[in-house]
Amino acid sequence: MRKLIGPIATAAILAGSLATGAVAQETIKIGVTQPLTGAFAASGNYVAQGAKIAEDEINKAGGVLGKKIQLIIEDNKSNPTEAVSTVEKLIEKDKVPVLMGAWSSTLTLAVMPKLQEYRVPMVVETSSSGKITTSGNPYIFRISPTSEMEAKAFQPLVAKMGIKKADFLYTNNDFGIGSGAEYAKMLKANGVKIGVMETMDPKATDFSAQLAKIKAAGGDTLFVTTAVEQLTLILKQAKEQQLKVRIVSCGGSNSPDQLIEQAGAAANGSYHTTFFPPWFPEVTKNPDVSKRYMAEWKKRGHNVGGLTEGYRGYDGIYVAVAGIKAAGKADPEAIRKALWGVHVKGVYGDISFMKQGPAGKESGQNVPTVYLVEIKDGKVVKTSF
Amino acid sequence: MSRLLVSILVALLASVPLWLTDFYYLHVLIVTGIFIVAAMSLNLLLGYTGQLSLGHVAFFGIGAYTSALVSLGFEVHILPDVTVGMAPKPVWFAMLCATAVAGLTGYAIGKLSFRVRGAYFVIVSISFAEVVRLVALNWVELTQGPMALNNIPALTLGFDGFELSFLRKPAFYLLVLTMLVVCYVIIARLVNSRAGRAMIALRENESLAMSVGIDVTRYLVVATVVSAAMAGMAGALYTHYIRIVDPDIFLFIYTVTMVIMVVTGGKGTLAGPIVGGVIFGIVPEVLRGMEIRPEVQWIAYGVLMVLVVYFLPRGIVPAIESYMSSRRRAPKGEAVAVAPEAPQQ
Amino acid sequence: MGELVQHLLNATILGGTYALLGIGLTLIFGIMRVVNFTHGELYAFGAYCMYALAMLLGVNFFVALVLAMILGAALGAVLEIVLLSRLRGADIDTTMLVMIGAWIVMQNTEQLVWSGVALSIANPFPADPLVMGPLSVSWNRVFVFAAALLLIAGTYHLVNRTRLGKAMRATFQDRDTAALMGIRIDRIHTATFALGSSLAAAAGALLGPVFVVAPTMGDLAASKAFAIVILGGLGSVTGATLGGFILAFVEEIGAGYISSGYRDAMGFLLIILILLVRPTGLFAQKERIG
Repeated sequence: MRKLIGPIATAAILAGSLATGAVAQETIKIGVTQPLTGAFAASGNYVAQGAKIAEDEINKAGGVLGKKIQLIIEDNKSNPTEAVSTVEKLIEKDKVPVLMGAWSSTLTLAVMPKLQEYRVPMVVETSSSGKITTSGNPYIFRISPTSEMEAKAFQPLVAKMGIKKADFLYTNNDFGIGSGAEYAKMLKANGVKIGVMETMDPKATDFSAQLAKIKAAGGDTLFVTTAVEQLTLILKQAKEQQLKVRIVSCGGSNSPDQLIEQAGAAANGSYHTTFFPPWFPEVTKNPDVSKRYMAEWKKRGHNVGGLTEGYRGYDGIYVAVAGIKAAGKADPEAIRKALWGVHVKGVYGDISFMKQGPAGKESGQNVPTVYLVEIKDGKVVKTSF
Repeated sequence: MSRLLVSILVALLASVPLWLTDFYYLHVLIVTGIFIVAAMSLNLLLGYTGQLSLGHVAFFGIGAYTSALVSLGFEVHILPDVTVGMAPKPVWFAMLCATAVAGLTGYAIGKLSFRVRGAYFVIVSISFAEVVRLVALNWVELTQGPMALNNIPALTLGFDGFELSFLRKPAFYLLVLTMLVVCYVIIARLVNSRAGRAMIALRENESLAMSVGIDVTRYLVVATVVSAAMAGMAGALYTHYIRIVDPDIFLFIYTVTMVIMVVTGGKGTLAGPIVGGVIFGIVPEVLRGMEIRPEVQWIAYGVLMVLVVYFLPRGIVPAIESYMSSRRRAPKGEAVAVAPEAPQQ
Repeated sequence: MGELVQHLLNATILGGTYALLGIGLTLIFGIMRVVNFTHGELYAFGAYCMYALAMLLGVNFFVALVLAMILGAALGAVLEIVLLSRLRGADIDTTMLVMIGAWIVMQNTEQLVWSGVALSIANPFPADPLVMGPLSVSWNRVFVFAAALLLIAGTYHLVNRTRLGKAMRATFQDRDTAALMGIRIDRIHTATFALGSSLAAAAGALLGPVFVVAPTMGDLAASKAFAIVILGGLGSVTGATLGGFILAFVEEIGAGYISSGYRDAMGFLLIILILLVRPTGLFAQKERIG
């Protein structure tokens, strides 16, 4: 038996030490955990591509603290256990002083106890569940908005759009449920009647039952929270079922370009919240940063539909590096303290952290701008409100 | 394997935290160890009674959820004005509850699903796991659904003034190792008992076993209860180690991992799940260390699985055993006795 | 009232789709007793073939459908010859493990080749749905429904009315006797697997344009197919067809009137319920027990 295990274990340890040994001392490592395979692979790869652009730009500009940065990107396989394993590996083996991850709320929540255990800060680039910043984990620094912030930003539009009765359709996960609850709360407070709140499995492809029910409920606006693949199908199937309501997609993982390409005419007349509108970068807080990111993305031949995901990784790395720079050393605790003071001009806007969660162990939360865009005649336009 | 060899191996494994300074490898060993316990429990069903349960992760997940809920406390409305609840209890007690609840579920499921066999049993077991997953996902009041139960306490043992915490990895590693040894001993005792012989008899030929008066369903249920309880214990260990549990714990891929460990190692052998578990616990880490794309890592993993089945169709342990006995140039009859019977068609 | 009728219409259309998913699996799983984990990947393969042919190479939509089925059959035959032929007579779990390996390899190859980004396939049908009073359904789905019924009828005929079908049934009922009767066992195995694969690929090619094409699309299809097959009874084309419709109705009505969160649990709950009440299943066959 040992005959077999011996060589494999040796190989494992050798492979590991080669990977770390080959790297010279003068780099500062940043750990990234993203879903590169599995259900969320498309988005995870975009975020990783955005992160790599930031890495190259920073290194071209001389790195940080006189050293080059090096991203160590691990695949968490869209699976919470694997997410924990990647964080263990990044912290224990690669000794990264700061992390970025882990895309979905479930994946981020899974790794959070480990951050506390090892005392290493993590920049959260995508997840929206409120629980991430309110559960008292002082190692979390989130640059993406919570569902609550998004709903609040939407508030002025309720009257302008003339919403009287709203229905909901969202995925049955932290992302969808959190978003549905926050929007419903906000709408109710603004005198909007809530019709049906329907859920769907994140893997489901047929929504005919839910849509028939929504049609019968007779609201004027349907709020949908899910990723772009399901959103495409919902738009198509809503048209097939002659569901004549206004569809608003929430959550910012909706890639309108991909919707236009794949849902075609069915996408016309739908509204989408986004935290970065690549169709009119001039309206963003830092147009030069947005344009620089977009130019490089296109130069590398990445999928244009991924622009609305990739910036999360791009900004996340800039924020982590700003933390390292402000700390003056690649030390997790120093970076954690320094992140409270960073100001980064990013695609997300001017990024800085406010305190959220129980006193004494607050998490950092950024307040990004939320945009609402409309798809009209196969083009993304600014809303007329 | 002789008793001495086993003792040396266990001692060697117990010494790992003393010389392995990289805690990441310790993490890999802990997770692998927990899955080996789960795989050993699956082996009792798959290897010894011949029933392919593809819902095994349900017991693992039920154990994880039970332990998490008991240690965190919960309160649910069964009827509009009837609430059932429980204050937080110590972790060791929660883990015992997890074992018991998983065992009871095993009893119910065994009674129910052993009405069918073969391919039907396979799907029934998958269905069961899927239903449990969807209950965990949708019964938000109890399980928090997809929002996950987090901040699950780590195991601490002892009393006022003297507390042993299992938050640190070396302590937890030793705990997992202890559980592994305990489960190994229980399974070894069981399969060498009268009940174990009855199970193997019904694996080999069910109608024959029935005709000589073996109460087939009873022994199947016994095996399921023990197997489910062990899987539940493994789930409880897992939940207090990872310290978060969400419905993804019921993902089919975890059952697949357990089946891979059992079948490649050698089903129906005591050491099989351990050997298979060590190999398929470490392989993903070896692949992760190589600088290849994640998709290619998966492809390599799949190819390796197929190759193991081809070249060692009965598993690694039986192959090594027959190799060893052929080297010893034992009489033919003995070589056959060491290796399990060829699988029936 | 209008809502209920729309639910029933949706369920009928969806039922045709599910039946199509089920019949391919029932041949391989039901007759060959191979727990075919590649079923979902063959489905995805059909969809990707359709994308490559219709969208990239500009082949006519209907020609592409037929080609996707042929390619699916070819891939199935290759899988059977390369992976399964050496494992004749092996345990159900041994062949299953090989199929799990193949599933992992195929799904990740798809991601490697096509990336994880979802793709969509244009269809030649009118974009506006077919409207009947308060009801509506897309033309593409009507076509899928018709094509599914045609394929089901064809498969039924092949299995129950032709010499090949007879040989298949004989082979998997009693190999030795079938061999003695001069049936070429190896060819029958390959042909059955190729037929089942071709049906899976057809389902993918038909549904690819309805839904979107992504590497993980097969997982959901496979889990539905397994539920359908056990509902209908293993190895029976009629059973799988009925199972498909039952699952669709239960899901649709369950989601419409109970809770959409449990929509995907309905099929599995039904299986467990049936087991409680009638362990022999809805469409009892004596092989079901023991």
